This record gives sequence, structure tokens and C-alpha cells, in this order.
Amino acid sequence: MKLKKIFTLLLSVLCLFSLTFCSKKAKLSNDTLYFNLETEPPTLDPSKAADTTSSLVIENTMDGLTDYDFSTPDLKIIPKVAKSWKITHSGSVYTFYLRDDVYWTDGKKVTAPDFEYSWKRIIDPKTASEYAYFLFDVKNAQAFNEGKIKNIADVGIKALDDFTFQVTLTKPVAYFLHISTFPDLSPLRKDIIEKYGDAWTEPEHIITNGPFKLTHWKHDYQLILERNDNYYGAKAKLKKIICFMIVEASTALSLYQTKKLDIIRQVPPLDIPHLKNTPEYRSGNYLSTYYIGLNTKKEALSNAYVRRAFSAAINRTEITDMLQKGDIPTSTLIPQGMLGHNPSIGIPFNPTQAKEWMKKAGYGEGKKTFPPITLLFNTSETHKTIAESLQSQWKRNLGIEVRLDNQEWKVYTNSLQSSHKEPLKTSFDIFRLGWNADYPDPDNFMSLFTSYSDNNHTQWGSKTFDKIVEKAKLMGNNPQKRVELYNQAQKMLLEEEAVIIPLYIYAHQSMWRNEVKGAKLNPLDRWSLDEFWLER
Amino acid sequence: MIPFILKRIFISIPVIFVLATITFCIMRITPGGPFDKDKAIPPEIKANIEAKYHLDRPLWSQYFYYMKGLIQGDLGPSYKYLGRSVTDIIKDSLPVSVELGLYAAFLAFLLGIPLGIIAAYKHGTWLDSSSMFIAISGITLPSFLVAALLIYFFSFKMGWFPAGLWEGGWEYKILPVAALGLRPVAIIARLMRTSMLDVIKADYVRTARAKGLSEFPVILKHVLKNSLIPVITISGPLLAGIITGSFVIEHVFAIPGMAKHFILAVTNRDYPLIMGVTLIYAVLLILANILVDVLYAVIDPRIKVS
Repeated sequence: MKLKKIFTLLLSVLCLFSLTFCSKKAKLSNDTLYFNLETEPPTLDPSKAADTTSSLVIENTMDGLTDYDFSTPDLKIIPKVAKSWKITHSGSVYTFYLRDDVYWTDGKKVTAPDFEYSWKRIIDPKTASEYAYFLFDVKNAQAFNEGKIKNIADVGIKALDDFTFQVTLTKPVAYFLHISTFPDLSPLRKDIIEKYGDAWTEPEHIITNGPFKLTHWKHDYQLILERNDNYYGAKAKLKKIICFMIVEASTALSLYQTKKLDIIRQVPPLDIPHLKNTPEYRSGNYLSTYYIGLNTKKEALSNAYVRRAFSAAINRTEITDMLQKGDIPTSTLIPQGMLGHNPSIGIPFNPTQAKEWMKKAGYGEGKKTFPPITLLFNTSETHKTIAESLQSQWKRNLGIEVRLDNQEWKVYTNSLQSSHKEPLKTSFDIFRLGWNADYPDPDNFMSLFTSYSDNNHTQWGSKTFDKIVEKAKLMGNNPQKRVELYNQAQKMLLEEEAVIIPLYIYAHQSMWRNEVKGAKLNPLDRWSLDEFWLER
Repeated sequence: MIPFILKRIFISIPVIFVLATITFCIMRITPGGPFDKDKAIPPEIKANIEAKYHLDRPLWSQYFYYMKGLIQGDLGPSYKYLGRSVTDIIKDSLPVSVELGLYAAFLAFLLGIPLGIIAAYKHGTWLDSSSMFIAISGITLPSFLVAALLIYFFSFKMGWFPAGLWEGGWEYKILPVAALGLRPVAIIARLMRTSMLDVIKADYVRTARAKGLSEFPVILKHVLKNSLIPVITISGPLLAGIITGSFVIEHVFAIPGMAKHFILAVTNRDYPLIMGVTLIYAVLLILANILVDVLYAVIDPRIKVS
């Protein structure tokens, strides 16, 4: 009897709950978009931002000199605060003419000195900006950053008047206009930064000039952007964007599926197979390449035939099929969608050829036995899957034993950096990395493997390769010639020397509701939220 | 009582300093630094950044610099979240973890103690088996699984509660509190049962019954009070652990608590934040243990705080 009463009571409580909550449906308006930012932006100070989350918020709240037109296949550079520009002195001097109708959120006009302050601030050693090197092509910028010259007036950054901004380069590099699109080089208000110090980026102090303004920031949880009604360009269609910082992709997906979020920028890998055929699943390719690198100083990999054999023994499609993320198999470094991309370059899958090369290197039946080698990767399920596939393919196609080793991310990056000092003492022979384009220019990829690059962990260096890349960098006025030079450099890097083995071009996955209009994926993973609107 | 508490606090100060020193040494021995990245930073720029945070000084100098700040109550700046101090980060995140933890602790005591009592009192019956089934499940089931199951049933299937977020309404708190509280419920229930089974057989309980006392006062006055000692012992570390948050629960429910900093500060090699959260945890653990010692005296007059 007693039990019966308890159960009746429990049942009533449950019914009450379901009545209360099932009927409680949040009213969603067309003015407010719920967006997953994924992580806390480490900073909203443009001069210090060095990550994608910070950049995403900054590019929606700040407008720089130029921007990309993502509707064009070659990502054309279009005016933003600069209404036009002039390139003189054979490509060494850039003069930007600014609009005179751009205002800060406090009503003051955006002027050339605001750009001068921002660009000089990023190279100031006191700012300690990670991305200062983006301006190292500017006259004396590197010397000033390294403390070799003390007078900032000697740096080639100058406001000629209130609406004319001039930059002088040391060399006429082809990609400089891309640099001018960087959110890190947005104009800044000297008075605000000096008044509030590090706290200037908090909502109560921040002054911006973009389509949205920051009105609320609950750290590690939520950030609110509201439309800037005094924006000089086309006003944003959304009034408010509520950005959550949900790191766990499966939690974000649960919230998306229960209508608490309108856009998620990441789909959990395990959910991709059953979501990829749904209409709200969106996938596109980045300008980024996943590759493995070979430590050429290690005896086993010092022979180019061996390295070529390693490349020819990999069926890249087998890897991308296993990952099921829509990545595009590639044997070239410069990704699809970028000047210089040439799918015919690189060593394709050819196990017979691979065995031939191993024989030429002195390994195989009746010859030397290839010593076991180690492939190192940073701890992650995806990298583990790839490493295991490579291990099995090399065993299958070349009969080579490869040990797998993984390290936590910071230990891993430290191991890669340490390998520059003592290449023979490292515990690994092969490593993995990926490269996302900072800007859509092939130099961003090719200069990685120059002999003086800190990102070249292969320990391989060639003066010829360096010269080709340096030459191509300065051929901005001759794209055809540039492509020829990059073909030459890629052939050297990937076919003759085979010091790196590209595997695939990354795909990114997002989901957004069909009610979200105007959203498009782009190869740089930029999110221009002012172009979005809702039709709920 | 007050001199005892003051004495305990005084003794704890060197403990904190030893802990700070050990943490400092361990984190600096660990390979990888805060500014090691896949996109290599040119050495000159890295030098500028390291100079800004005094990481260019010798290690002993960095240690004394940090300790000097610590004595003045300055936990330093975060290396990852630029412009934010470790104190700010803790101030923002600790109250959330404390709130969640206190609810979970309340749930743990509210359910754990009665479950333990029922299991012991109805020893060998189906009530005992059911209570212990809940307890064993609570201990063995990993919290991410519990959280996932709760979300699946109560968010997806029933649509009663949100699948995550921390928006202020109590409907946002039910699932994370339940997921966080289940394990402590289980621990307390099991402890309570074991301890009560011992006490029930004690001579003074038999005497109380022989005196003709009814069952309820026997349980409440004689058995419960004495059975609580082991539960109180475990409550200190349990409480300190629970109010500093659970990485899994906060991660799964997207709660802006402090627990994630225990993990992310290490993966980011954010040295001052590692020190800050470790020290906060230590302080809370010490305070919880002092509280336990005081509670001992309240529960059992044989134990004297002095």
C-alpha cells in the first residue's frame, strides 16, 4: 500500500515536470543568432591575437584597410576602410586612401593615424605580439622589433595625412596586399588603450569600427555582439549574436539538435557518417594541407630514393576514406584553390615503383634490411588513425617496420623545435604537421621549407630551393612566371628530394539551420556574420 | 575552538609554500613551454614575449619573483588569456564551480546518508541490495557516461532539461548536479552502510534497546551519530574536490567553472594559472579538513579539538 502511494507520488511529479518543460519552448526571433564560438578568445586585442577564435570576433567588430571577396574563386581583395590604394616604386610602396565616413563606436572618425598606431604597435617589442613577423617585409620593422633600431620613425609606416596611409617595404613582395586584410592590423584607438591598459578590450571600454560591437563578455562562457547602427557600410541584418564557448563538439551538437544553437562550427568525427547526408550538414575545403615530414639527417632517411619510396607506398585515398571527413587526398603541398596548385606534382601511389626505389637505395631482398624507424605524432584519435594506416601501408608495400609514438601537444612541438638543434639525437624519424594558410598566397606554404625557416623540421635545406622561393615571392606582376617557379620548387621538394609527403587537403565541417541565410563556407574559415540573416 | 582553528591555519602556511615550490619545479621540468606552437614563432619574437613575462630570467629568479608576488596576493598574469590575471580567472570561474559543487554535495548527503541507513538497517533485504546497486553503479559508472545518459534521456527523449549551458534557471542545474552528485552519493551511502553495520552491533546499542527505547530514537541518537564519523572524515576531501569542479561535467554541460583550468592550464603550459588553481585547491582542501576536525568534536565529545 505504502509503495503504491510512493509510486503514485513519483508519477505525479514526473507528469508535472513533463507538462512544465515540454510546453516551455523558447521563442526564437529573427533578430538573434545563437552561434558556437567554441573557445574563449584568448584576447580581443588585435595586435596580440594569434588564434582563429580571437580573429573571428575581431573581424566582426573591427574593419581594416581591405578584405576578401569570398564570392570570387581567387579571393579577390576588396576595399574596406581603404577606398583605394596605389602601388608604386615597383611594388615597394603602398599608399592607401581611406574613406572619410568611417566612425568609431564613440562617434570619432577613423583616421590614418589610427592605422599608423596599430601597425607600429604590433611590431613594438613591448607589445610582444606573436604575429609581429607579418610586417617584417616593411622597411626597418624587423630591426625595430629586434631592438636593432630604436627610432620608430625610421620604420616604413606613416600616416601622410588624416586619410592617407603609406607603407614602404624592403622588397616588393607579391603577397603584401593580403597582409593588409589581417584582422591583427585593424586600426586602434591610442587614447583608449593608454587609458585602460589591458582592460581596454572589456565591453565597457572597447571602441570598435566594425559591423558589430561587443556588448557583453562573460569569460569562458558567452559573448554578445550587437549591430553597430553607425556602421558606414551595409548594416548587419542581425541585431544580436549570442556566441557561446562550448569546447566539447558533442555538447555543441546536442545543443544544436535541441535548438539552443543555430550554428556549430565543428561536428564530432563519430557523428559525421550519419549527419553528412542531412541538409544542414555543410562541408568545404580549407586552404590547408596535412603532411608528414622526414628527418633527412637520420641515416635511414638520408637517401632520397628511400624518401621517394615512402611517398610512393602511401595510398592517400585509403586514409581519407577511413577518416570520412571529406578531406581531399593530395600529393602536392600548395592546396587546391590557391595560385600554384598543381595536382600533377608529387609522387602518386605506386607500390611497384616504391619497391624499385628501395632497391636503388640498397634495401630489399638480398640486400640490406631497412632498420625500424619511428613515426611521432601528437596525441589525437585522428592522428593515431592516420599513423596506424601509414604503418600498415609501409609494412604492406615496403615490408618496413615503423614504430608509432605519440606525445602531448606541447611536448610534441617542443620535440620538433629541439630537433633543429640536435637532429640526430631525436627519438623520431618521421613527424606529422598541417599548415593552414595565413593568406591565400603560395609563398605562405613554400617558404616553410626554406633552409632558414623555423617551421622546416626536416633538417633539409637547399640554396637552390631558397633562391626559387625568394624569386617567386617578388614576381607579383607576373603570375605565370610565379606558377612556373612554384612548380619547379614543388617538384624539388616533393618529387626529387621528397622531404615531406602531403597526404590531404583538410575539409571543415559545420552545421547551420536552414533558417540561417547568407552563410557560406570559405577556404580561409572566415565568418562574416554581418552577411547572415534569419528566416525562422 | 578558535585558537585551534588559528593554529591549524598557521601550520598550513608552510604547507602552501612547499606545495607552491613543488608545483613550480614540476611544471618547469615538464617539456614544452607556453609559447611552443606548431607555427614556429621567430626566435626574436619569442624572446620579446619571454622578456615580457620575465621568462628570460634564470629559474631561481623567476621562482623568487613569483613567490614575492604570491606573498602580496598577486597570482600573476595568464599566458594564454592575454590581459587577464589569474586572480580574475579564478574569481570568474570558482563561484560557478562552488555553486555546482555545493548543490551536488547537498544532494550527496541528502541521498547518501538515508540510502546508507536503509541499506544497513534493512541489511540483507531487497532494500539493501537496491541501495547498494545504486551505490556501486554510482562508483563504477564513469561520469561522462552518466552525463551522456542523462542528456540522452532527459534532454533528447523527454525534452525536460537543456542539454547544457549555465543560464541561471534551475532547469540548467538539475542534470549537471545529478551527474556530479551521483558518485559522492554512492561513496557516502557505502561508507554509511559499513559504518552503521559496525555500530548497530555495538554493546551500547543493545543496551539502548534493552532499556526499552523504540527503534527510531536508537537509530537517530545512538547509531547515526556514531556512524557519521567516517562519513565526516571523507567529507573534507570530497567537499574540496566537488566544489573545485569536475572537468568532465563542466566540459560536457558547457559550464564555465574552474575545473577545466586544472587541465587546460597544464596543456597550455600557462604556468601562473597552473600555480593559481593548484594553490586554490590546496587552500580549499586545508579549510575543508579544518572543518572536518571541528565537526568531529561536535559529533563525538570524546574527540577534543585541542
